[in-house]
Amino acid sequence: MTRVLIADDASFMRQMIRDIIEPEGFEVVGEASDGVEVIEKFKELHPDLVMMDIVMPKRSGIDALKGIVAMDPTAQIVMCSALGQETLVMEAIQAGAKDFIVKPFKPESVVATLRKTLEKES
Amino acid sequence: MDLAKYRNLFLEEATEHLAEMSRALLILEKHPDDGEAIDLVFRMAHSIKGMAGSLGYDSITEIAHKLEDRMDAYRAVGRIEVVEGIAMLFRGLDGLERMIDVVRESGEPPPPDLELANALSPDAASGAAPDALEEPEKKCLRRAQTPRRRGVWVRRRRRPRSACAPRAWIAS
Repeated sequence: MTRVLIADDASFMRQMIRDIIEPEGFEVVGEASDGVEVIEKFKELHPDLVMMDIVMPKRSGIDALKGIVAMDPTAQIVMCSALGQETLVMEAIQAGAKDFIVKPFKPESVVATLRKTLEKES
Repeated sequence: MDLAKYRNLFLEEATEHLAEMSRALLILEKHPDDGEAIDLVFRMAHSIKGMAGSLGYDSITEIAHKLEDRMDAYRAVGRIEVVEGIAMLFRGLDGLERMIDVVRESGEPPPPDLELANALSPDAASGAAPDALEEPEKKCLRRAQTPRRRGVWVRRRRRPRSACAPRAWIAS
């Protein structure tokens, strides 16, 4: 089962992602609410995949992404963005994010993106 | 999707966000260049936009999006415009509070507030974010031309050195 770490400062969004992906066979092993906590949880939990919001307190999602990729260049990170954040999404992809999902989430699109990311990895 | 569960989560979290925004705006009234407060209002508006969008509360999404864009422009220049700018932000905050009360009381999406949406638009006559800023700072920004963000102030890709360089660098 794929182990997923979710990082978003809104518990609403973390719950929504959890409800979308758990019935599809993903295991949510941890949640983080800011860009510092996600790095700590990544070190502790070694998830197979991270779903990370771009806008977060303490360290932005892009900053946290860079921190994780510096520790583990093979980290599988999918960014969660909103409409209007195209420039930031491009920056995230250049910094090592594998893919991105745009809010509001379409459940089938979320699951398809995660599966595609894992297929590319294998 | 269990709509009632998410509606309750939204009401709980959005109410907390509005309280945080209100506190940050009070700080900004006294300290318009408080970067932490500017960033917090931006993030809270962004978060409310995301949650409301997920539930189909389009009127809330629209107002939160306009507040987010305003705060993004203020983030780019590092301070807010005190008199009209802060008044517009409080007006937007009041509007969001009213809309969220409608959701709390009726469980239904609130109706759009076109007057508020227009007032918060970057082209509105009063309180348009960077118009009140000093000319050198305005040179760092331009109006976006993409269909979705048309008219929104965004940072220029190539910043005029004289206007946007850190002051210490200019001095040297």
